[in-house]
Amino acid sequence: MSGPSILNGSYRLDGFFDEMFAAKDDVRPHYRALHQQLAEMTAATFDERRRAADASFLYQGVTFTVYAEEEGVERVFPFDLVPRIIPEGEWNHIERGLRQRVTALNLFLHDVYHAQRILAERVIPADLVFGARHFRREMMGVDVPRDLYAHVVGTDLVRDAEGTYYVLEDNVRSPSGVSYMLENRQAMKRIFSRLFARHGVRPVEHYPQELLATLRAVAPAPAADPCVVLLTPGTYNSAYFEHSFLARQMGIEIVEGRDLVVHDDRVFMRTTQGLQAVDVIYRRVDDDFLDPLAFRSDSMLGVAGLMNAYRAGNVTLANAVGTGVADDKAVYAYVPDMIRFYISEEPILQNVPTYLGCHEQDRAYMLEHLDQLVVKCANESGGYGMLIGPHASGAEREEFAQRIRAQPRNYIAQPTLALSRHPTYVDGLLEGCHVDLRPYVLCGERVTIVPGGLTRVALRRGSLVVNSSQGGGSKDTWVLTG
Amino acid sequence: MLSRVAESLYWMARYIERAEAVARLAAVDFQALLDGTRRGRFEDVVRITSDAALFKSIFPEGGERGVLEFLHAHPANPSGVLVCLSRARENARGVREQISSEMWEHLNRLYLLARDGRAAAMAEGPYAFFRQVRDGSQAFEGIAAATMTHAPAYEFIQLGRYLERAVITIRTLAVRYEDVCMLEDGSAPASLELITLLKSCGAFEPFRRQPRAQLRAGEVAEYLLLNPQFPRAVLFCLERIARALWAVAPPSVRAEDKLDPPARLVGRLRADLDYLDVPEVLDSGLSPLLDDLLRRVHQVGNEVTRTYFNTRVILPAPRAAAAAAAQQQQQQQQQQARA
Repeated sequence: MSGPSILNGSYRLDGFFDEMFAAKDDVRPHYRALHQQLAEMTAATFDERRRAADASFLYQGVTFTVYAEEEGVERVFPFDLVPRIIPEGEWNHIERGLRQRVTALNLFLHDVYHAQRILAERVIPADLVFGARHFRREMMGVDVPRDLYAHVVGTDLVRDAEGTYYVLEDNVRSPSGVSYMLENRQAMKRIFSRLFARHGVRPVEHYPQELLATLRAVAPAPAADPCVVLLTPGTYNSAYFEHSFLARQMGIEIVEGRDLVVHDDRVFMRTTQGLQAVDVIYRRVDDDFLDPLAFRSDSMLGVAGLMNAYRAGNVTLANAVGTGVADDKAVYAYVPDMIRFYISEEPILQNVPTYLGCHEQDRAYMLEHLDQLVVKCANESGGYGMLIGPHASGAEREEFAQRIRAQPRNYIAQPTLALSRHPTYVDGLLEGCHVDLRPYVLCGERVTIVPGGLTRVALRRGSLVVNSSQGGGSKDTWVLTG
Repeated sequence: MLSRVAESLYWMARYIERAEAVARLAAVDFQALLDGTRRGRFEDVVRITSDAALFKSIFPEGGERGVLEFLHAHPANPSGVLVCLSRARENARGVREQISSEMWEHLNRLYLLARDGRAAAMAEGPYAFFRQVRDGSQAFEGIAAATMTHAPAYEFIQLGRYLERAVITIRTLAVRYEDVCMLEDGSAPASLELITLLKSCGAFEPFRRQPRAQLRAGEVAEYLLLNPQFPRAVLFCLERIARALWAVAPPSVRAEDKLDPPARLVGRLRADLDYLDVPEVLDSGLSPLLDDLLRRVHQVGNEVTRTYFNTRVILPAPRAAAAAAAQQQQQQQQQQARA
């Protein structure tokens, strides 16, 4: 070995929960083989492998688009080569928790758009639900196949200083990022094949097949061999790569709104051989843009008449219209109550303590402790519209305080979590960087969770924000076979 | 296959073919200029590939600089090299999963060459620049043939390519053949004109290689119209168009051995050319025939659009409203699903 190791005595824990180290020089058992290998590695060897990975991502066009300049710039999604490892027992806990949570969310969505028992029994305040930006009254009384609304869910999990897993948010509209989970695994297998051989890592490659099976399972009743398509906003969308990747992997058509036409409450796609009936649409277009006749009339991305076909039960949309009411950040605070209400169980995965702007006591606490809290806009996602109190300036805090007073329903606050950290390659050495975890849950004939997910890592030193649009990267996530 | 996808592939191919033609024609003219055989005839290239009246309105003085700018990148000229390549790329972007990554990469490089490499290329003389564009476009054809499955997607590319190619050969003949006819057949100036005409269609060497080929106006015209083996001859293009149309026809059409509307038009056109009375046509002048051919080839294009692409077109000449709509659509796409 020539040159110093990338993992040496200078690695610091700084009092955070570290995924690899229980204490300084005390490696957690499931990380021992990886640790040994990393300790033997120099910056030169590591850099060489990293370049190989970057080149293969760029070559395959695994990119997202940044719209800072006039012409969108394609960037490679930063990928860190040190994998995150989850032992079997821990994963089983996560999996049971997610299953329970997603089941409750689907029961909640069905209830909210039908009998509204949970509101009548005052478990959740009705105004909170009706005030949610993504509540769709157009969905009242509409029946969907298998009563399933959220078919694909990407739940964000974080760990605190003790290593306990918490649910940070449920993404129930159209969660993205799963293509990175698959591409990261591919790259790791090529670049660290020997490392793989030493661990028993559970595979994730069957995700697209599971997704297709899920989509087929929710087809409208009479379709024997349902035609499934993926609806994309188009090539200028930052997640277009993912849309095209998934469509190719599933072997289905990727369509834009202008490729579809509704006739007699049935959806067809225009092909060179005439109109072909469509049964299931895996849509990556927001509710607002789906149908200019039902929602935003200026939408250029939707299909006129789609909602009529949907309400007539002739086509399935995945995820269903109106799921956004369940990942509203204020409604989130009530998910543990939903679990107790619908399935009479105690939640397996805990929520992060949440203060609601619409509750007077909570709001007073929020305004007094802005310097310690993270404030989020209730219906934004992707790390937009956030205030990280401890890192914000006085002026920024004052601005948020005014916004909270003006529209209390739209804001929630959570304590600034000491997110767990993971050794990550920064400038020739491994450093602890904050991570989260987004597993993907599929609900069709049954609930399927591919073992793993997307581990996002905050690559800016000290940063807590892991979103790709805000300087985050990702890691491969290994769930071990026990 | 989705109509939008087929249409994008078809237009991608047409625009690349047009860029290649402009580059080839310009390169030939600049070469002729260097040989000292021709003077101030660049405007021919404008007349063949573009709208001469439009050129006159923008560059009333005419001249080499104006022609160069007009042919390279003037935004008002829908047949400018850069405009063509950028439209080809926009069409390709929407169907990236249908074409090979080699094709996409190559087209990107070619576009960037035309966009950024002009200054450097122009410094070495426009000839070098146009030749690079021509080579790049030709390489694209090879990459497509070698890396794509020869399934309907590929056939729509062929369809676009050969339709555009037929149009260009006809227009080249229409503009240049007149000049030849004004000269005495067999004289040195006439021979030079014929050589330029052949080179404009990339046909000089193939024509020469025929045994007993005489550099006579009638023979050259017949070669460019009716040769069944030269890939830019009109009859050859029509044969390829017919082949591509057969390959993309719906099974119902093929099972009953019927022809759909564009294929029927092409068939009639081929038959007319097959039974053409060449001496008579040459005697009475080529223009009426060429006008008729051009009209009917465009008609085939319209029928293809009507039969196979019943969706919105990526407009050849975006007007303000269409551009604003496109921009709005792009913004909405960017707003979507940032979770």
